[in-house]
Amino acid sequence: MSESLKTFVRLAPTLAVIGLLFFGGLIMGLMRSVNYMPVIGLTEPNLDAYRAVLSDPDFLRSFGLTLHISLTSTILSAVLAVGSALLLRRSFAGRRLATFLFQLNLTVPHLVGAIGILYLFSQSGSFARLAHAAALIDRPADFPALIYDPYAIGIILQYVWKEVPFIGVIVLANMQAIGQDYEAVARSLGATRWQAIRHVLLPQIWPGVLSASVIVFAFTFGAYEIPALLGASYPAALPVLAYRSYTDVDLASRPEAMAMAMVIALMSAVMILIYTRAARRRGGR
Amino acid sequence: MRPTAIALLTLSLSSPALVLADTSDGSALIGQDWDTIVEMARGGEVNWFMWGGSDTINRYVSDYVGGVLMDDYGITLNRIGLTDTTEAINIVLGEKEAGVTDAGAVDMIWINGENFRTMKQADLAWCGYTETLPNNVLIDWTNPAIANDFGVPVDGCEVPWNRAQFAFAYDTARTETPPRSIPELLDWIKANPGQFTYPAPPDFNGAVFVRHVFYHAAGGVEGLLGDFDQARYDAAAAATWDILNEIEPLLWREGATYPTSITQLNGLFANQEVAFTFDYDPSQFGLGVQSGQYPETVMSYGLTDGTIGNTNYTIIPFNSPNKAAALVLQNVLLSAEAQLEKALPEVWGTVPGIEVDRTPAEIQAAFAGIERHPSVVDPAELAQNALPELQAGWISAIEQGWIENVGR
Repeated sequence: MSESLKTFVRLAPTLAVIGLLFFGGLIMGLMRSVNYMPVIGLTEPNLDAYRAVLSDPDFLRSFGLTLHISLTSTILSAVLAVGSALLLRRSFAGRRLATFLFQLNLTVPHLVGAIGILYLFSQSGSFARLAHAAALIDRPADFPALIYDPYAIGIILQYVWKEVPFIGVIVLANMQAIGQDYEAVARSLGATRWQAIRHVLLPQIWPGVLSASVIVFAFTFGAYEIPALLGASYPAALPVLAYRSYTDVDLASRPEAMAMAMVIALMSAVMILIYTRAARRRGGR
Repeated sequence: MRPTAIALLTLSLSSPALVLADTSDGSALIGQDWDTIVEMARGGEVNWFMWGGSDTINRYVSDYVGGVLMDDYGITLNRIGLTDTTEAINIVLGEKEAGVTDAGAVDMIWINGENFRTMKQADLAWCGYTETLPNNVLIDWTNPAIANDFGVPVDGCEVPWNRAQFAFAYDTARTETPPRSIPELLDWIKANPGQFTYPAPPDFNGAVFVRHVFYHAAGGVEGLLGDFDQARYDAAAAATWDILNEIEPLLWREGATYPTSITQLNGLFANQEVAFTFDYDPSQFGLGVQSGQYPETVMSYGLTDGTIGNTNYTIIPFNSPNKAAALVLQNVLLSAEAQLEKALPEVWGTVPGIEVDRTPAEIQAAFAGIERHPSVVDPAELAQNALPELQAGWISAIEQGWIENVGR
């Protein structure tokens, strides 16, 4: 048995699970999305569901909202993460404690974080109560609407809170592996501190930042629970809209739900493509 | 590829069930001697999928009902909590699609209304067994409100569990006199902007609230009974959307968003963001006070122009592998003792699905002696102004219409 065949055999159970459950589900979903569902009498495949979904203003608005949530969360998280990593790589008293605290919420589930955001930032949450105690507001409605709001501030807050340490830990490890020698050389040749970061460090950590950001983008684009808990009733984030359509009592709307799920899957697939290209670039250096 | 995948799926799903006696064949159970069914069910398990949003209901099911099943029949009850009953129907539907006809994951569902219609429409229910249950004698099948589930004939495909009637709740410490009819409520909203909202349909309770406005806009429910009628719907719907769009800027958050679940509305009410909440199950208000979510000054009430009532049921899917155990579970749920326990305000406080006057004298006396939680409106008083539910076709149309005309 050749070495590669052995490796393949060892990987077979994992691949079988991924292949059967993941691709099996994907194929079933794809069949339903093209209106092929013999159990309720749909036997003629067609693209009606995609046509209906893509021309539906609700879907387009949800798509826009989801794109906004994912892009804003990812960019904010990445910027804050790189900034934090730059601070945390220096040596200072209490650095270990700071690094520990920085990584702490990596272990907190998203749902728990969402409930925390809800308790803190809702119009009857802790901050609203403090504002009331300080006589800044009279009624809950006077507190700015940060949860269930049209700009998805609550959702983005939760994602940034959770993803900054995620990207940060990857970038920090990256920076520590690279070391500060290149920057030191640049400084010795007359570069300012900012120039050394901008032209020497950033290009080196960029593939790491990019691949971590792509993961965050793909996750926030497809995640259901946070927008379901903290989102407004309309427009709903794409996964919430797809789920609502999937639980519609009318069986005829199942194909549309699956078409939406396929669009989300396609977006994630594109992200994975970008990710693997970024990862390959990083590996090539 | 596909047949292999299905074969594997079927295999993986059916293997745990093979360990115990397979009681998936429903026709063999119908008319069978009850003791035989109990023996077939003994030592097995039953998977009951039900809405899981109330801790007290969950406790009653897991502890009391699960306890009776385990102690008296050796049956393990697995309660699977759902936020939306349609999730369970999707499982059964997916199984039917994959050819799983005798080894489904779902043995029983707490259900009514549109979801029941969907189960019937897709032939997902096991039917015709109700006479086999000894406690079937406690059910009044001649009552149209029991023999029809939201206007759809039950046809022996499910058995009643509870009756419920919609009620509103307010805090006497914050609101002096609550509006006692839909027109009064609309005036109240205009006089008190920002203090009222309702969950966006398809939330169950939010959709019921919208139907109350719909009945009001249609000038009464009489013209809406029977099969769905597009012309009558269009007339009443236009007026309904006008009313709801007119009050929208006066709602919580100026109507820019709506709560997405009754749990969210209850939270807003508890945190004093809004002045009213409501529920299809008024016993929830007593439970809310007991758990400390609401202050003791919270009271529930009905409307002079009536609130909508319904019956809810339990159903057994066609492909349940544990039909004998599911039958035993249904029989336990229908028993006078279990219905009495459920009626106790500290347990749940809901209205029985059986006829109390058909139960033994001591149970009847116990029912008569139940002291209602002071926050829960008297069911008898509520029932004086009861409105019927519409057929499922109307309900879907109203929900869809709301989403298109008010929600967006």
